[in-house]
This record gives sequence, C-alpha cells and structure tokens, in this order.
Amino acid sequence: MASPLEQFVNNVRTMSASGNFRELCEIIGNSDEVLQRNSAHLNTVLETLDIQQHSLGVLAVLVAKFSLPQGSNDIDRSTMFQQIHDFINNCNGEQVRFSPDLYADLCHLLTDHLVEIKQPIRGIEILKKAIRKIQLFDSQLTSIHADLCQLCLLSKCMKPALEFLDTDVTGIGAELGGNNDSKHFLLYYYYGGMIYTAMKNYDRALYFFEVVVTVPAMVVSHIMLEAYKKYILVSFILHGKILPMPKYVPQVVCRFLKPLSVAYHELATSQHAAIKHRETFVRDKNMGLVNQVLSSMYKKNIQRLTKTFLTLSLSDVASRVQLSGPAQAETYILNMIEEGEIYAMINQKDGMVVFLDSPEKYASPETLCVLEQQMAACTKLHQYIQEMDEQIQVNPQYVKKSVGSHDEDMPATSQNSKTTYTM
Amino acid sequence: MITNFDKLCADLEKQELEAPTGVASPSTYAQLLAIYLYQNDLCNAKFLWKRIPQNITSSNPELAAIWAIGQKLWKKDLAGTYQAIAGYNWTEPEVANIIRALEEKIRERAFNLIGRSYSSISIDTVVSMTGLSKEAVTHACRDRKWTIKEDGVTVNPVPPTQPAPLHTSSEDQLFKLTDFVSFLEN
Repeated sequence: MASPLEQFVNNVRTMSASGNFRELCEIIGNSDEVLQRNSAHLNTVLETLDIQQHSLGVLAVLVAKFSLPQGSNDIDRSTMFQQIHDFINNCNGEQVRFSPDLYADLCHLLTDHLVEIKQPIRGIEILKKAIRKIQLFDSQLTSIHADLCQLCLLSKCMKPALEFLDTDVTGIGAELGGNNDSKHFLLYYYYGGMIYTAMKNYDRALYFFEVVVTVPAMVVSHIMLEAYKKYILVSFILHGKILPMPKYVPQVVCRFLKPLSVAYHELATSQHAAIKHRETFVRDKNMGLVNQVLSSMYKKNIQRLTKTFLTLSLSDVASRVQLSGPAQAETYILNMIEEGEIYAMINQKDGMVVFLDSPEKYASPETLCVLEQQMAACTKLHQYIQEMDEQIQVNPQYVKKSVGSHDEDMPATSQNSKTTYTM
Repeated sequence: MITNFDKLCADLEKQELEAPTGVASPSTYAQLLAIYLYQNDLCNAKFLWKRIPQNITSSNPELAAIWAIGQKLWKKDLAGTYQAIAGYNWTEPEVANIIRALEEKIRERAFNLIGRSYSSISIDTVVSMTGLSKEAVTHACRDRKWTIKEDGVTVNPVPPTQPAPLHTSSEDQLFKLTDFVSFLEN
C-alpha cells in the first residue's frame, strides 16, 4: 500500500479514536487527491475501517471511489448501492455531521447512479433515512431533499416525498447555505412544486414555484425560468388569471423571465394561444398543464355565472360557457358541486339550476376549530420570527455592520428614509 | 369485513419501496391500487399504474381490471364504474374484499351527491348513478325519506343531514383561550 494512503488510514484511526473530528475533516479535505490517485486500493482501505467508528473516513473513501470518472475499470459499480445503503444505515450521525457536504455528495452520487440505471424507486427509502440522519431538526432543509424529490418524480412514486414537502422549512443545512451553489435549493422547490402539481395540490404548488422565482438573485437560472412558466399555468388553473408577483421579486427576474415566456402570457388574452403556441408548450413538456388550464376555464366561467344569476336553465349555461349542450353542462355542474367549488341545486325535471350561497354560516364548531388551528399557526410563526430576530441581533457580523453604518453612512440612511416616505 | 385499509396501505407502500429490485409482487400492486381507489386518491392510483412495469400489467388481467375502474372514476363516469366492477370476476380474496368496500363507498358517495345537488331527478339517473336495480333504488329512496312523485319517475331528494357536531370540552376551550390571551398579552 502506498505510504500517503497508509498515513491517511492512520490519521483516520487515531483522530476518530480521540474524537478530534474537526481536525480530521480538514485532513480529509486535503487528502482528496491521494485517494483519487490510489483508486485501486480503496477497497482494501475500506476493509480496514469500521463504518460506525470511522464514519468520516469511510465517507471520504466512498465519495472518492464513486466520483471517479465512468471509464475507469478499478471500481465496480454493481456493489455501489449496497455499500452506500450499508453506510447510511450504520454510520455515526454525530460524526458525519462534521462534514455534511461530503455526506450530501455521497447522496448525489447515489442519485445519479440510480437515475442512470433507471431504478430510481430503490433510492427513495434510503434517502429518506439519510435525510433524517443528518437533520438537526425536522424542518431543516438539506441538499439531499432535492435528490429525494427527483427520485420520487422519476419513479412516479410521489407519496414518500410529501412528508418532507409538507413540513415548512425553518432552517437550512450547512452544506446548502453560505456561499454554496443555490442549485439544490432551487431544485428542491421546483421539484416539490411539480410533485404538488401532480398531486393536484395546486395551492401548495403555486407557493413552491413562487419561492423559486423570488429567490434573491443577480442572474437568472434556467430552473427559475421553468418554474416561472409552471407558476403561470398553475396560477391559471387555480385562480383563472396570472397572480401578480410579490414586490420582492428580484429585478433581473422580471426583466428576463417575462420576454422568455411570452407564449404563456398570451394564454390569458387569447383563446387560440394554446393552438398557436402548441410547439412551445410541447417542447417545454407543459402541454398536459395547458390542457388542464383550458378545461379549468369552463369551471371559472361557470363560477362567474353564479355571481350574476340566481336561476338559469342548463341550456343557457351551456351556451354561455360554450359547452356542447345541457347534458355536458349538467356534468360540469355536478362535478363542481362534488368538489365544493360551487353551491347549486339542479332540477332535472325543468332543466334548471338554482345557484345558492355558501351554506357556511361561520357559526359551527368546525369553524371554531379551523380558527383555533389558524391562531395556533400564527402564534407559532410569531415565535419563529422572534427567535430568528434574536439570533440575528446577537450575530457579531450584524452588530458590527449596523453599528458601523450608523457612523459612516448617516446621509445615506436619511436619504433612504426619505424615499420610504415618498412611497 | 372492513379491515383497517390505511394501515394495510402503509404496509404495502413500504413493501414496494423495499423491494430489492425496485419491483414488487403483482399482488402487492393489485392491493395497493385497489386501496388508493378506495381512498379516492386517484392521483396516487394513476401514478402507481404508470410505474408498474409493463410486463406485470400485461400478464395480470386483474391489475388491468382494477385500473379500468380507476379510469372510470377519473372521468367521474359512475355508471361505467359499476360496469367495470361487475365486469370482472374478482377471485383474489384480498382484492375482492377491497373492491366490495370500494363499491359500497362509491354508492354512498353517489347518494350523498344526489342529495346535495338535485332538487328533482329522474329515477333512471339515480339508477345509473348508483348502479342499483330500480327496486333497490326505490327502497333506498324510501330509507332516505326521498319522495317519489305519483308519475313514478321523478324523485325529490333531501339533502343529507350533517353529522353531529363534535363536542369539545369547555375545559379544553378554556385552555386554548388562556393560551391565546397570554400570547396577546406578552
């Protein structure tokens, strides 16, 4: 065995034993090259290390082993899944938390591998475990989340991702924050939005796409563009129009995304846009959503009728909403009643519909229950904000900056306050 | 007869995810698909159908038969749903069990929907929406106190009564109120 490699193993052993993990992380960071160069001996190294005791060392070796370029013959990828599976199941959570970026890299490698061999469903369970192991608390976002969502989408098995998506994020893993690439953050929300769209939870989907588009940015990412297109479509399905973007959308986004998605904007104004821009929609793989937009337009039109009329004959409904006949109108209305989208009574004998007001009087115990839940959610949110505020207040960097700016930039601040007044 | 489908569902999902090659047994798929339909979780049912490997779907007529029901449900074609259920001879006891429960549930939902959305409806429509015989419908209408007009064709349904409000103890409410006030005060 080559001597630098031997040294690496010795370092791992002694430092793991003495619990000197921070230093070990540094050594591992520097020994990347050594490991890559000795790829032939990596399996022997693995045998000398124990997954539980030397988790960090094993992690480094595994990442080095599997990130070698495809062509090299030294490694056998057939055991890759099993090895990573064993590692994630047995590794020491406290140790690997010292090096979350390597840990995430390992998960990215596994994801890429499974995508390549077209068995994405096998990785779902193991990535779920991997996330739970590295998370400090349930609502912490890691870059592995994006991998999980990708596998769920590819395997068409969305349900496992929902438990993660349904938890609102309150913290971000170390490997994802800071100066690192925002790709995984954007991807998580983009994939998450797609999963919610597939599950027809459009409300949540819209929120997820909105997060992608409102990420503070200096340049526009392609992920943002695709998310923006889907944002428009989901907004149509849900509200029948494009919701205005929040004020805090970065300027570059407004400047670049709108001209790049003209076809989508035209859906709002023209009936024939779907046919006219068919090619664009098919190329963007959004045709399914566009079709859903079109059929939701009928529903929106029927909902509009309920605001004007109290009673209407089914054939009138059909002609006003441009449906083929009373029978189709009846089916639409029936479906909408079942979904709770309108309140109406059909009189089949006379062929009439009576539109009713919502029977909800907001006086039932259920309403109280909903109100209580909402209040609890608000209280919780308030607590979170207060906690975060406190954390920022004591952050040395913040204190330094805020004190410093008072001394130097007095005129600037007064100018700022002036502009706020004029607004 | 009705077992705890939610628990079974979770078990089956786990079986599928832990299958060594990523492909579970046909009977797992069949049960899971039927349960998704029972839960009216059509999105998940659709994606399950899409992810079952083709050689399994083509060699198991039962799976195809279950999805035939799913398709009718997706299109909200109630009459077609009953036909699809009746059109296959359910032999596997586990699946047959779920399908029976599914049929009951769809019928119950149909009756509720009729009650909520029609003030008058022809008996033939009721027959096709519930998949029952005319006599059974007449009987069911009488059970629900829906009046059938003298002409024997028009039914006047009554909206279903809301389930009794859930009762919360006043102590519990007082506790929540205290919580809320103390939050506002601080």
